Amino acid sequence: MASYMSMGEAHRRITDYLNRFVDVISYQDGTSLKHLLSLSSESPSFLALADALNLFQDANRLIKQADKYSQYAEIVAPLFRAMQSYRVGHLVESYQAFEKSANAFIQEFRNWESAWALEALYVVVYEIRILAEKADRELASNGKTPEKLKAAGSFLMKVFGVLAGKGPKRVGALYVTCQLFKVYFKLGTVHLCRSVIRSIETARIFDFEEFPVRDKVTYMYYTGRLEVLNENFPAADHKLSYALKHCDPQSEANIRMILKYLVPVKLSIGILPKKALLEKYTLVEYSDIVLAMKRGDLRLLRHALEEHEDRFLRSGVYLVLEKLELQVYQRLVKKIYIIQKQKDPSKAHQIKLEMIVKALKWLEMEMDLDEVECIMSILIYKNLVKGYFAHKSKVAVLSKQDPFPKLNGKPINS
Amino acid sequence: MGFEGAYDDMMNQGGVTDTRTTLDPKSSLEHHTVDPSHAQNPSYYAPPSGSEPASWTSYNLDQHSDPRSVPQASAGTVSSSGATNIEYANYATYPNNDPYGYGNTNYSGYYSSYQQQPNQPYPQQQPSQTYGQPAGAYQSTGAPHQPISSFQNAGSYAGPTSYSTTYYNPGDYQTSGGYPSANYNNTQANSWNQGSYANYGHQYPNYTAESNGAYNAQSAPATSVQYQQDYKQWADYYSQTEVTCAPGTENVASTSTSNLAAPPVLASGYSAPNSQQLSASTAPSSWRPESGLSELPSVQPSAPVNNVHEGYWKQGGQGFQNYTVSSTQSNFQKPLDLNPISGSFQNQQKPEVPQQPYVPYATSHQVAQTYHLSLPPPPPPPPPQTAAPPFDSARVSNVQIPTNPRISSNLSASLPKNSNASVGVTKPAYIGVSLPKTNDNASSHAAADSSLKPGMLPKSLRGYVERALARCKDDRQMSACQDILKEVITKASTDGTLSTRDWDTEPLFPLPNVDLINDSTTPSSLIKNRRSPIRRTKSRWEPLPEEKPVEKQLCYTPSNVKHGGPIYNNERDKQVSTARPENKENKFSNLKFYLGNQKETNKAGLRPAKRQHVGDGRIGLNDGDSSSDSDKEQSLTAYYAGAIALADSPEERKRRESRSKRFERNHGSRSAPNLTKTKSVGGGNLYTRRASASVLANSNSLDDGAASRAVEDIDWDSLTVKGTCQEIEKRYLRLTSAPDPATVRPEEVLERALVFVQDSPKNYLYKCDQLKSIRQDLTVQRIHNELTVKVYETHARLAIEVGDLSEYNQCQSQLQTLYAEGIKGQHMEFAAYNLLCVILHSNNNRDLLSAMSRLSVEARKDVGVKHALAVRAAVTSGNYVLFFKLYKDAPNLNTCLMDLYVEKMRYAAVKCMTRSYRPTLPVSYVAQVLGFQSTDEKNTSGLEECTEWLKAHGACLATDSSGEMMLDAKASMASLFMPEPDDAVAHGDASLAVNDFLTRSLS
Repeated sequence: MASYMSMGEAHRRITDYLNRFVDVISYQDGTSLKHLLSLSSESPSFLALADALNLFQDANRLIKQADKYSQYAEIVAPLFRAMQSYRVGHLVESYQAFEKSANAFIQEFRNWESAWALEALYVVVYEIRILAEKADRELASNGKTPEKLKAAGSFLMKVFGVLAGKGPKRVGALYVTCQLFKVYFKLGTVHLCRSVIRSIETARIFDFEEFPVRDKVTYMYYTGRLEVLNENFPAADHKLSYALKHCDPQSEANIRMILKYLVPVKLSIGILPKKALLEKYTLVEYSDIVLAMKRGDLRLLRHALEEHEDRFLRSGVYLVLEKLELQVYQRLVKKIYIIQKQKDPSKAHQIKLEMIVKALKWLEMEMDLDEVECIMSILIYKNLVKGYFAHKSKVAVLSKQDPFPKLNGKPINS
Repeated sequence: MGFEGAYDDMMNQGGVTDTRTTLDPKSSLEHHTVDPSHAQNPSYYAPPSGSEPASWTSYNLDQHSDPRSVPQASAGTVSSSGATNIEYANYATYPNNDPYGYGNTNYSGYYSSYQQQPNQPYPQQQPSQTYGQPAGAYQSTGAPHQPISSFQNAGSYAGPTSYSTTYYNPGDYQTSGGYPSANYNNTQANSWNQGSYANYGHQYPNYTAESNGAYNAQSAPATSVQYQQDYKQWADYYSQTEVTCAPGTENVASTSTSNLAAPPVLASGYSAPNSQQLSASTAPSSWRPESGLSELPSVQPSAPVNNVHEGYWKQGGQGFQNYTVSSTQSNFQKPLDLNPISGSFQNQQKPEVPQQPYVPYATSHQVAQTYHLSLPPPPPPPPPQTAAPPFDSARVSNVQIPTNPRISSNLSASLPKNSNASVGVTKPAYIGVSLPKTNDNASSHAAADSSLKPGMLPKSLRGYVERALARCKDDRQMSACQDILKEVITKASTDGTLSTRDWDTEPLFPLPNVDLINDSTTPSSLIKNRRSPIRRTKSRWEPLPEEKPVEKQLCYTPSNVKHGGPIYNNERDKQVSTARPENKENKFSNLKFYLGNQKETNKAGLRPAKRQHVGDGRIGLNDGDSSSDSDKEQSLTAYYAGAIALADSPEERKRRESRSKRFERNHGSRSAPNLTKTKSVGGGNLYTRRASASVLANSNSLDDGAASRAVEDIDWDSLTVKGTCQEIEKRYLRLTSAPDPATVRPEEVLERALVFVQDSPKNYLYKCDQLKSIRQDLTVQRIHNELTVKVYETHARLAIEVGDLSEYNQCQSQLQTLYAEGIKGQHMEFAAYNLLCVILHSNNNRDLLSAMSRLSVEARKDVGVKHALAVRAAVTSGNYVLFFKLYKDAPNLNTCLMDLYVEKMRYAAVKCMTRSYRPTLPVSYVAQVLGFQSTDEKNTSGLEECTEWLKAHGACLATDSSGEMMLDAKASMASLFMPEPDDAVAHGDASLAVNDFLTRSLS
C-alpha cells in the first residue's frame, strides 16, 4: 500500500465504493455485491478502501450527502467502521460493526423478492463467522471471555429464519445451516444443531437434492459427524459416504476431513481401508489400527490408541476406535482357530481358554483366565464368535459353520 | 332552587370547577338523553375540550368506572366463567386505580391514561366486550329501556374504546328511545347518568332482554352493580390511596361536611325525601371523596332521589327526562347539591360514619335487592317495618354485596347470594344474567360475609395497616409487612379484638403515614374532604398532587358519576335502613315501578327470575328488619375484615408477593398485578382481589418512590457481608433477603464448623444441612479459597458416600470452577469422580470425550484417574470381570460411585453369560466374577447373595449332582428381567427419599 494517500484520493475511493454499492444493488448484481462485502478477503482494493476510510475519517458525511447513499447508510456506515477497525486490527470492534451492518443487510434482503443477493448473503454469513472467530481469538488473548462466535451463532439463526421459509431464498438455508454447524462444532454446542437439522430434514417443501452440492456435502459431513458421536454407525456411514461421493475430488483437504470420520466408521462395521487410501490422504494415524485389526494385534491397537489419543479424543473418534478391540479379539481367536485347524481339523472348533491367554501373553497382554473368559463370553454375546463357552472345561466351542461371522457393513450387536 | 343554593354552597366549597363539572355531566346527560349518539360521541371523543368535553370526560370516567362495574356485573352474570370474572375484576380494579392516578393528574389525562394502559384495559375490555355484546343484545331487545343503560354502557365501554363503540350505538339509540318511552326508564337513565351508566347499561342489557319491568328490576340490581362497581372503584381508590382509610375517610368527610351542608340541603329541597336524599347524599359524599366532585354525586343522588321521590323529584325518573330535555343541568346540579348535603345528612343521621361508605355500598346493593324485594310485594307497599327488614336484608346483602363488588360480578353474584340466602328465589331475576355463577358467588360471598362480619375493620386498623406498609421501602418489605399484617388482622379477627383493639397505638408498625391519616380523618369541608382523599391517592400515586386539581375534579366528576350510581343505591339503602316512612314510600313507589317492570319482564319470559328476585328481596328485607345502622357498620366492617382476611389467605399472599415483585418499579404496571390477581382469583375471591389490589396499590404507591429505587441500586459489593456470628453450628436456611452479618459466620468459625461437622457422629442429613449452611456463609461472604474447596470437597465426598448425586453434582460443578481458579485441592480425586460420574451416569459420549480430553498428562498418572479410566474402558467394552476387579480395589470413593452402576453391570453380565455359556454355569463363579463377596471369609454369604440376586432377576438355577448351585444359561436366557428397584421412588431418585437417607446414614 502506498504509504501516502491524498485526501482527494481517499474521497474518490470512498465515493467510488459507494457508487458501486448502490449500482450493484440497483442492478441486482449479487456477484459484484458479494465482492463489496467480503471484508476478510483482504483484497488490495479493500485494503485501499480501508486506508482511505481511516484517512478520511468522516465517511458518514459522505454517505449522508446523497440520498442514493443514505438509503443504505445502515449497511454501509457500520461496514465502513468494520473495515476501519479490521484494518487496524481491532477485530472485536470490527465484528461488532460488521454485525450491525449485517443486520441491516438482512433487513434489506428480506425485502428483496428474488434471491439475487443470496451470494452476497453467503458472504455476509461467512464473514461474520470468520470475524467472530478472529474476534474471539483477540478476546481470549486479552483474557476476556470469547463470546462473539456465540453471538454470530445467534445471528446466523436469524438469517436461517429469513431463508427457511418457502420461496427461492430457501436454497440458501443449507449454506447458513452449514455455517451454523461450523459455529456449533467450534463452540462445542452441537446439541444446538438438532433444531436446524430438524427443520432441514422435516420440512419437505424443498427437496434436499435441490440444494447446492457443496452445501449438501458440508451438511452431510457435519451430520455424519454427529452420528459418529451418537455411535449410530449405519447412519454415519451413509452420510459420510454421501459426502465423500459428492465431494469435489480436487479438494483433498475436504476429502481428508470426511475420511477422518468415515474410516473409523467403516472400521467399526468391519470394512478396512486400503493402505494407499490412508497414505494418500495422510491418515496414517489409522494405519496402525488397521494393521492391528488385520493381525489381531491387541497390543498394536492399544498402542495406536494411546499414541494418537489426543487427536482421537479431539476429533471424537476415540470411543469408536476403542470399540474395535472386540474385532481385534475376534481376529486373534480366528487366528488361533486357523492354526488349530491346520494342526488338527477335528478339534479346531474347540478353543481352550489357555490358548488365548497364551496368545495374549505373547502380545504382552497380561490377562487372567476370568478376564479372557469374559472376553470370549462377550465375543459370543456380540455374535463375533459363533458357539458357546463351556465353563467347566474352560473351552470355547465354536460353531462348525462360519464360526467368525463377518460384520459386512453391519455394526456389532450391542 | 333551594337546592341550587345548596348547590351553590357546595360549589363554593367545592369550587367552581366542581360546579362546572356537575353542569357538564348534566349537560352530558342531557345530551345523552336527547341525542344519544351525539352525546355518546362527545363523551367518547370529546373529553378533552369544553364543558361538554368535561362532562364527557366525566362520562368517560364514568364509563371507566362503568366498565368496571360492567365487568363486575358481567362477572356476576358470567361468574361461572371464572376467568372472565377475574378479568373483569381486574378490569374494574384497574380502571379504578387508573382513574385515581389519572384522575388526580388530569381528567383527559385520565382517559389517556386509560388508553395508555392498553394492556390492562384491553383484557378487561375484552371481557367487558363479551359481556357487552350480550348486553348489546339485551339492549336491542329492551332498546327503549336500555337506551339509558346503553348510554351508560356505552360510557363504560367507551373507557375500553372498542366497547364504547359497540355499546355506544345500541346504547345511545336505545337511550333515546327509552327515555321517551318510560319514566322509569328515564329515571333509571338519570340514575345511569348520575352514576354507573355503564353498570346500568350492562345490567340493563340483560334486563332489557327481559323486559321493561325487568329493566326496572334490573336497574335496581344494576344500580347495585354499579354500586358494587363504585364500591370497587372506591375500594380501588381507597386501596390505591389507602384501602382502609378510603372508606373511613369518605365517611368522615361525608359526615363532617354533610353535617354542615346537609341540613341546608335538606331544608332546601328534599325535605320530604330527606331520608332518601340523605341516603343519596351519603352516597354522594362517599363518592365525592372519591371523585372529589360533588356534582357527579349530586347527579347520582338526584337520580336516586328522583326515583325514590318520584313525585318530589320528578327529575328523578321521568322528571329527569323532562329535565334532561329542558334543563337537565339545573336539575342535576340541584340534585348534586342536595346529594352532597344529603350525604351530610346521611352522615348525621347515621352516626356510623365509617360504615357509611360501606353501608352506602351495601345499601346500594341492598337497595337493588330491596327493590327486588319490594317488587314482589309491589302492589301493597310493605309497611315501613317490613321495608326496614328488607333493608336489613339489604344490609345483609350489602355485606354480600361488598364481596360482590370486589368480585366485580357484583350484581349477579350479590343478588343471587342475597336471594339465595334470604329467599333462594331471587336467583331468577338476576339469574337471567348469571344465575349459576351467581349461586357459586353467592355461597362464596356468604362465606365471605360471614367471615367479614366477625372481623370488622376499624378505621384505626386501616390506618395501622397503612402505616405499617408505608414503612416498607421495597417490595419485599412490603410483602413481608403484608403477610405480617394479614396474620395480625386474622388473629385479631379470630380473637374478636379486631374492632376493640386500639390499632392506633398498636406497636408493631410505628410509622404512621401522616398524610394518609390526615386525609382520611380530616373532615374539613365536604368538598375538601372529598377531594382530599383523592388528593391523597394522587399524592401517593403521583408526585405532583397540586398540579392536577382541575383534572382531578374532572376525574372526580366521572368518579362521582359512577359513584352516583352507587350513591343512589346507597341512598335508598340508607333510607331503607333508616326505615323512614317517607323513604319507604318512595322506595315502595320505586318498588312499584319495579314491580310493574318486573311484571312486564315476566311477561316477556323472565318472570320467574324476577319473581324470585322479588321474593328474595322480601326475604332479605325481613331478615334485615332487625338490622340497624350499627348492623350496617358491622356489615361494612365485616366486609372490610373479610376483604382483609381474604387478603391474608396464603393464595393472596403469594399473589401479592408475585405482584409486588412485578411492580417493583413501575407505576404503570400496577394494573398488571390486579389483572394477575383477578385471573388467579376465582369469582368468589373478589374481596381478596380488591383487598389485595388495594394493598398492592398501596405498596406500589409506597414503593414507587425510594423503595423501588433502592431495589434498583443494589450494590452487591456492599452486600458482601462480614460475618460476626460465632456459633459453630448453624442450620441451613435458604436466604430470602440480604444476609444478616449477625447470623453469618466468619471464616475462622467456618473452619471450626467444618471440622466439627467432619467429626460429628450424626447422620448425613445433619451434616448436609450443616455443610450447606457453611457453603452459604462462604458464598455470602464471597470467600473463594482453600477452605471453600475443602468444604465442597467434604460435602461432595459425603454425598458420594450416601449416593446423593444431586448434591454431589452441585459440589462438583462448584469445585470445577474453584479448581479452574487455581485453588488447590484434591483435583485429581475429583477429576476421577467426575469421570466416573460421566461414564456411569450421564452416558454421554460427548461429555465423556471432553472430560477425557481435558485430563492432563499428570492427571492420567493419578491412581484415581487411572482407575476411573480403566472403569470407563471396562464399562464401554462390557468387561464385567474387569469392572468388578476394579471395583474391589478402587481408590478413594470411586467404589461408591461405582456402586451406583453395579446393578446395571451385573445384569448386563448375566445376560451376556446366559447367552454365551452352555450348558450351565456355577453360581459360585458368577458370584465371584460379579463381585458378590461378603466381607466374611469364604464366599458363602456372597454366594447366597448372588443366588438371591439371580433369582430376583429371573435366572433359572439348578443344583447339579455334586450339590453345587448352577445357573442354567439357556433357560435363563429368556427369563431374565430387570426387576423394579425396591426403593423406587415416584420422583425417580431414590437417593432423595428421606427414609432411605436416614437408614443409610444411620446404619
